[in-house]
Amino acid sequence: METGKPARSRDTLDRRHEGIESKVEGFNDRARRALEDEFLHESVARFTKKSVASRQAALERLPEAPELRETAYRIKQETMANLDRYLEQLAGAVEERGGKVFFASDGEEVVNYVGELARRRGSKVVTKSKSMATEEIELNRRLEESYGELGLEIIETDLGEWIAQLAGDHPSHIVAPIVHMNRHQIADVLSGVAGEALPPNVEDLLQFARKRLREKFLAADIGITGVNFGVAETGTICTVTNEGNGRLVSSVPPVHVAVMGIEKVIPKLEDLSVFTRILGRSSTGQDLSVYTNLVTGPRQEGELDGPEEFHLILMDNGRSDLLGTEFEEALYCIRCGACLNVCPVYRQTGGHAYGSTYSGPIGAVITPLLKGNEEAKDLPHASSLCGACTEACPVGIPLHELLLKLRNRQVDEGLAGKGQSVAFKGFENTMKSPALYKISGKVGRMAQKPLVKDGKIGRKLPGPLAGWTGTRDLPALAKKPFRELWREGI
Amino acid sequence: MADRAEFIKDIRSRLQNHRSRGEYRPTHAPDVPWTPSAERRRESPVSGDLPARFLGELEALGGHGRRVASIEEARDYVLSLARERGAELLVRWDEEELEELGVDAPVREAGTEVSVWRDLPDFREVAGSAEIGLTTADWAVAETGSLVVTSGPGHGRSVTLLPPTHVAVVRVEKMLPTVAEAIALYAKNGGLPANVCFHTGPSRSGDIEQALAIGVHGPGDVHVVLVG
Repeated sequence: METGKPARSRDTLDRRHEGIESKVEGFNDRARRALEDEFLHESVARFTKKSVASRQAALERLPEAPELRETAYRIKQETMANLDRYLEQLAGAVEERGGKVFFASDGEEVVNYVGELARRRGSKVVTKSKSMATEEIELNRRLEESYGELGLEIIETDLGEWIAQLAGDHPSHIVAPIVHMNRHQIADVLSGVAGEALPPNVEDLLQFARKRLREKFLAADIGITGVNFGVAETGTICTVTNEGNGRLVSSVPPVHVAVMGIEKVIPKLEDLSVFTRILGRSSTGQDLSVYTNLVTGPRQEGELDGPEEFHLILMDNGRSDLLGTEFEEALYCIRCGACLNVCPVYRQTGGHAYGSTYSGPIGAVITPLLKGNEEAKDLPHASSLCGACTEACPVGIPLHELLLKLRNRQVDEGLAGKGQSVAFKGFENTMKSPALYKISGKVGRMAQKPLVKDGKIGRKLPGPLAGWTGTRDLPALAKKPFRELWREGI
Repeated sequence: MADRAEFIKDIRSRLQNHRSRGEYRPTHAPDVPWTPSAERRRESPVSGDLPARFLGELEALGGHGRRVASIEEARDYVLSLARERGAELLVRWDEEELEELGVDAPVREAGTEVSVWRDLPDFREVAGSAEIGLTTADWAVAETGSLVVTSGPGHGRSVTLLPPTHVAVVRVEKMLPTVAEAIALYAKNGGLPANVCFHTGPSRSGDIEQALAIGVHGPGDVHVVLVG
């Protein structure tokens, strides 16, 4: 994934594959393959169903949930409107506590900052806890490539992320990274590390992972974490994990680097209690994640553990482009995964079909916004616009509306395909003219005859219309139009 | 290296440009009902017997809790835990309350070495090899069964993390109803310790085929003794 500014030139666009059925980015192909993978399908269905039920039960225990959601939305809105001020305040507060702050415009600057830090410290072992921001910029791969001479060993420590890393794979769910893998595949991957065959049962695999990662936690020179919330008022970063790896990575190594998207800032410490109350519940149905860890600067005088150096990297990487635009709400996301779990598309395809760090409805929204509309042209169409995502979102992002706006923008930018534009123009003219409308009905009823079966147009329409029927059936036009029935007194 | 002033200025100008050109579209509040059912029962806020609520929540998470009347009973709890686990090393915070608890001598007599979190040449060695970590807590939160542990001299973060068993002895006056109240207290007092962590039950993961696994990286065996 490149992280530069999205290419705006239309000349580079491959026009052979335009329109809804575009295969340039290959969502449809990947989705089709995913649908054929029986384990993936069953596992994703089971996970999402369970998560939705747990979330529902957790919210029923929280009578003030609607008010919290409203408050969370307002806090994010206020934050974005004054983001410059809150970022300055956050940076100042971190520095006051002895931390270092670096503002990074893109992934390249994050990679270089961490690389140079590792060089200065003479570091070898880097442990990481789960961080979507560093996944987004492919920090691991780029550090290994750009700073190969340092011989860094970079280890993901979230159990699922570690297994994905060893398998050369990518996480397929924000919360459950290897929901797509079964225990036999996992045993194969870990056996490769163990140098002996490990039995494919959960307990043995866990014991092996715990033991192996424990060595890494203790040996690490640098710990890298993501950030769930950065509190401007106090210079505190909050990171939540269930396994405890986030807390270990930020407590044991002598250096802690926190990589934070600039949109993760919140104004006050008390705002944190709004978000911690909805994050765990929306994500896994937990009232609170197991380790809700608040770090304010490096270790203080007299402490034996905790990092000697604390670095906060505030990363833009395309986010500020959304400020003050109709897409700003996409920045409110707290990465809980609730919209993935309820999405009828995600539930069928899993995360890899999206071909992006962020999958599901929020991925379909922010990937085109951060990477460029052309890069992720399919994704706004990977939705039925049913609105389940919007309903599930704990901060009230109108996800399905944003998806619709993105489709709209594709038309405005001429990305939707010429055929589609012409068709809709024709539709507009027809709807405006009673005579044309009448004729179109007659023509349609005649033309559909060879295609109709059981009251549906199930066969593929020819030529440019194939896009409409490739993945869905159309209901056939009625034998008599409503206007005739009405005239005949119905 | 990105210049900070430039970075901030860029964000400010983006916000201002959109507003001055009238392009800034104030976003609208969520208009879709969020909660699953409108008729859900209005629960009363967390009140009543806080220790009982705390212990219930902790048990539900797979932790172990007990309320005892005296320091002596708390000491016995820790002592029998060390025996049951067959621990060779217990590491504890350097903290007055734990001195008063007086576990060191009886635990040593029972065959478990005790390390205190002060002047350690290599904290990783000690915390990494201990089977039991013994601490107090700033607060115990009834709503969620959470312990709030803080860093500071004598308060090793690793003590709560690296040993497979974590036991905290907490006076019952340290009970708070909700997480929000704990956060509000830190906000009011201005200035947090370098580290504050809410520990809510044992370490867990569901990453392998969604099977619930306890004690993946942090302690899987969590005990809280409420005294008083």
